[in-house]
Amino acid sequence: MDNSSVEPDRRDRPLLQTATADFSKVYEEHSRAIYYLTLRFLGDGSRAEDATHDVFVKAFRRLGQFRGEASMRTWLYRIAINHCQNLVQSWQNRHVLPSSDDAVWDTTPARTDSPLRVLETKELGQRIQKTLDVLSDEYRLLLLLVADEELSYEEIGALVGQSTDSVRGKLHRARKAFAAHFERTN
Amino acid sequence: MKHQNEFSQKQEHIEEHRTQAGKAQEFSSSDELLRFDAAQTIVPPEIARRLQRSAAEVRPPAARSWWKNIFGG
Repeated sequence: MDNSSVEPDRRDRPLLQTATADFSKVYEEHSRAIYYLTLRFLGDGSRAEDATHDVFVKAFRRLGQFRGEASMRTWLYRIAINHCQNLVQSWQNRHVLPSSDDAVWDTTPARTDSPLRVLETKELGQRIQKTLDVLSDEYRLLLLLVADEELSYEEIGALVGQSTDSVRGKLHRARKAFAAHFERTN
Repeated sequence: MKHQNEFSQKQEHIEEHRTQAGKAQEFSSSDELLRFDAAQTIVPPEIARRLQRSAAEVRPPAARSWWKNIFGG
């Protein structure tokens, strides 16, 4: 009999309360990072809300499997990335999503060394989303991960299953593509 | 006199606000821009409420056995 969805036993209640209290600290510390990743990766507020909830529920269920080999932040990112990629894959299976052509941005004159100027910060989120939507999932993910100062290149490489050198090279192109397209959203 | 002072203070505040609004903000890289964006992002409080309800429905996470930590499985 599958007990996974059965109401917790009365004897489990104190343990559940302790686990929930501990987990609320995990949520407090990492929810912004996970929500931001899902928001900008999926490009939709309500989907990001659902995804963040689902990621933390999965993490709560698997907390006993957390070995501490990676940081909690990295472990949560791994769950979030898998979750988001599965969602995007299922949408792609149902509808054909427009694919981006990064080659266009890769060949645009480099502007990565010049500052990105912003006049209206209230529209900044929209401009950033528009820009990220044009990029490939891979570039988008790399840019979002490297923006988190808690992650090293090694950790990003482990999260995306690539070597550190490969991450560096792709990030260079991703930043260039971002800067070129961001200018066009003005 | 008091009203005049209040009026000029308000004017100054409006002018200051206008100046800030018209001032371009510069970000040296996409990393910096995204960090700024992330810091501005507010996590919807509804997620925490939903999580609390969900946590009450799931069984508490079982600790991984020490032999599984060593030998896997």
